Amino acid sequence: MSTLADLNTGFAGRRGRLFWLALRTSLLTVLTLGLYRFWMKTRLRRFYWSSIRPGGQPLEYVGEPLEKLLGFLIAVVFLAFYIGIVNLILMFLSFAFLQDNFAAYALSFVGLVPVVFYAQYRARRYILARTRWRGIRFGMKPGAWGYAGRAIWHWLVTGISLGLLWPRMTFWLEKYRADRTTYGTVTITQGGGWGMLYPPYLVAYISGLVSAGAFGISIWLERPEFAAILALSLPVMLIGAIHYRVAAFRKLTSTKSAEGIGFAAAPRTGRVFGIYVLGNFLAGLVMTGFMVVLLGLIGAYVGSSGQFDLDLEDLNQLGLPSALIWTVGLILYFSAFILWGVLRHVFLTLPLMRHYAETLAITGVSGLLAVRQTDRDRFAEAEGFAEALDIGAAI
Amino acid sequence: MITIHVTEGAPSFSAYADFLDGESPIVHRVEISVDDSGSDAWLVIALPGKKPVRWAMADLRAVRDQAAKDMIVLARTGNKLARLLVNDPEAVRILSARAPMIKRGPEAPGKGRLFGWAVGAIASVALIILVLVPLMADQLAELLPPAGERALGDSTFEQIRTMLSDNALLPVEVCEEPEGLAALAKMTDRLSPGTELPNDLTVHVLDHDLINAFALPGGQVILFRGLIDAAEAPEEVAAVLAHEIGHVVARDPARIALRTAGSVGVLGLLFGDFAGGAAVLFMTERLIQASYSREAESNADIFALELLDQAGLPPAALATMFERFREVGGEAGGLISHFSSHPALGDRIARAAELTEVSGEPVLTPREWQALRAVCGAGSSTPSDRVRESKNK
Repeated sequence: MSTLADLNTGFAGRRGRLFWLALRTSLLTVLTLGLYRFWMKTRLRRFYWSSIRPGGQPLEYVGEPLEKLLGFLIAVVFLAFYIGIVNLILMFLSFAFLQDNFAAYALSFVGLVPVVFYAQYRARRYILARTRWRGIRFGMKPGAWGYAGRAIWHWLVTGISLGLLWPRMTFWLEKYRADRTTYGTVTITQGGGWGMLYPPYLVAYISGLVSAGAFGISIWLERPEFAAILALSLPVMLIGAIHYRVAAFRKLTSTKSAEGIGFAAAPRTGRVFGIYVLGNFLAGLVMTGFMVVLLGLIGAYVGSSGQFDLDLEDLNQLGLPSALIWTVGLILYFSAFILWGVLRHVFLTLPLMRHYAETLAITGVSGLLAVRQTDRDRFAEAEGFAEALDIGAAI
Repeated sequence: MITIHVTEGAPSFSAYADFLDGESPIVHRVEISVDDSGSDAWLVIALPGKKPVRWAMADLRAVRDQAAKDMIVLARTGNKLARLLVNDPEAVRILSARAPMIKRGPEAPGKGRLFGWAVGAIASVALIILVLVPLMADQLAELLPPAGERALGDSTFEQIRTMLSDNALLPVEVCEEPEGLAALAKMTDRLSPGTELPNDLTVHVLDHDLINAFALPGGQVILFRGLIDAAEAPEEVAAVLAHEIGHVVARDPARIALRTAGSVGVLGLLFGDFAGGAAVLFMTERLIQASYSREAESNADIFALELLDQAGLPPAALATMFERFREVGGEAGGLISHFSSHPALGDRIARAAELTEVSGEPVLTPREWQALRAVCGAGSSTPSDRVRESKNK
C-alpha cells in the first residue's frame, strides 16, 4: 500500500463575510431579547467550521438552533430549582447561624462547581457530536460526572502545590477528554506525558511566583517599592501564559493519534501574541471611532437645540420626553455591546482560528481508509447547562 | 473542466465534484451532470465502478452560512449524511440557478418535544418564583432569629445605598446631623409601639431625592431626604414612619428580602448575561418600592392608625402626606402606588380622623422640625430641590 501524503489544512473564512454575519445575528439577538442567540451561535459555528478545510474538505457543523433552545430550557428547569430553593435555604441558614451571607454565597458557589465541569464536558460532547468531516461524525463518549470529579481533584492538587502541578492537570484532563473522543469508528488516544508540558510552563510559573511574592511583600510587609517588580513580572507572566497555551496545544495535539492517523500541529507563540495585540488594538480603534461619531451626532442634535450642557436636568427642561433619552441611551449601550462582540470575531477569533488551522496537518492518512460512520449521538439537553451557566465557548 | 452538451431539451452540463457517501471518509472524485430527459430533472453523480447516484433537483439543498463562496456543499432531503462538494464555478452557477429549493438548507429535526419542554420550563420557573419561593420565604422569615434578621437588613441596606448612588464606590450618605437625629429620635420614641420587638427600632435618613420610605429586616426604617423635604409638617413624616413601623412589627421586610434572594438568581439564569445585571437591579428596586401584598399594606395602615391614635397624633396626616406626594409628582414610590391603588383608604382615614382626639402637643417643636429638615446638612440641597422650590412658588 502506497503511503498517502499528509493532509494540510486550509482556511477559507474571510473577515468581510464574517463581519456581516456576526453583525446581522447580533442585532437579531438584541431585538429578540436574547432568543436569537441560539441561531446566532449555530450560524457562526457553521461559518467557522466551514472555514476549516483539512485536505481541502471543510468541516461541517450540523447542530440545530432549536435543539440548543430545548437544551437551555431543560437546564433552566433543573437549575431554577437549585438556584431558587437551595439558595434560599442556604441564605436562611447562613443568616440564622452566622449573621452573614458570605457562607451562603460560598456554599452556593461550591455547590455549582461540579455542575460547571459537568456542563463543560457535556458542551464539548455536544459540539463534537454535531461536527463532521468528510461526512463522518465526530463524537465523545459519556463521562461528564467522571470529568467533574477529576477536574475538582486536579484543581485541588494544583492549588495545594501552588501551581507547580498545573501541567499535570492540563495533561490528565485533556487525556480524559481526548481518550473519549471518536471520529467515526476510531477512538483517539492521547500519548505523551505531563512532563513534556513543563518546559513551556516555566516562564509563566516563575514570573507568576515572582509576581505573587512581590505583591505579598508590598502588602503584608508594607514595602510598597516591591510592587514595582510587578511592572515587569506581570507582562512576562501574560506572555508566558500565552506561550503555555500555544505550546501545550502543539504538544498535546502532536501526540494524539487514532489507529495510525496522527496530527502535526505547529502554532507559534509569537504569532498568537501578535494577533492578540494587533486584534485588540484594531478592535479598540474601530470602537473608539464609532463612539466618537455617535456621540458627535448626538451632540450635534442637542447642540442644534441651543443647549450644549449634557446634564439630565437640562435635557428634562428641553422638553425631550424621557422615553427618548432612554431610547438613545439603550441604543448607545447595545450598539457598543454588539460592535465589540463583532469586532472580537473579526480581529481575534478568526485570525486565531486561521493560524491554528493553517499550522495543522493530518498524518498517517491511510488510516482513514478503515474509518466507518457511527450512529448519531442524540442527547436532549445539547449545551444547555453551559449556556445557562454562561460558560459556553466563545463561539 | 466543463462540457456543454446541446440536446433538444434544456442545455445540459457536466463537471467534476467531490462526493462523500456518509459511510466512510473517502473522497470520491465524481463527474456530475443533469438528466432532463423525464418530467423531473435529476442530478446524476457518476461513481467510478458503481451505479450512478441520482438526486432529484427539487430535493437539492445547500448547507448554509458557508465561509466562502468558492464551494457549495450540497445535501439531499431525506439523506442526512451524503454530501457533494462542488467548487467548479460554472457548476455552482448552474446548480444554484436550476435547483429550486437549494437556498432552503437541509431540513431541521422535529420540533415536537420542544413545545413540551418550553411549557414545562416556563411552568416550573413560574412555580418556583411565584409559589415555592414566597411560601418558603414566609415560613423561614418567622424562624429567622433576631440577630440573623438584623444582619440580613444590614447587608440589604448596604446594597441599596450602593444601588441608589451614581458612583459604585460612594454609597448614598446616611444623614448624621446630631440635632436632626435628636428630633428624629424624639419622634420615634413617641411612636414606639407598646409591643415587644425582636430588634430595637432604628430609623435612618438617606441623603437622596426620592420621596419615599421603606422598612428593612431587623427593625430598620429608612426615610429619604426627599420625603422630609416634601412634607410640610412633622406629623406627616410621623404618619409615614408609623406605617413603616407597621411593616416592621409584621416582619414583612424579612419575607421580601428572602423572596428576593430566591428569585434574583432564577431571573438572571433565564436572561443570561444579556440582562442578568438588569434583573438584579429590578429586584433590588422592588425591595425599595416595597411591593408588599395588599393584605400586608392594609395591616400596616391599620397598625399606623392605631399607633398615631395612641400617640395622640392626627391620623389624617397619613392622607395629607399622600395628597402631597401626588401634587409633587416626582418619582412614584411604593407608598404612593399603594395609596393610589387603594382609594378606599382615604375613607378609612377620614373616619379615623373623626374619632380621634388629637392631644395638644405637636410631635416636634418648630425648632426641632427645622433641625430634622436639615439632618443631611445645610449644603446638601441639590438642583432638583431648587427646581421643586421654583415650581412651588
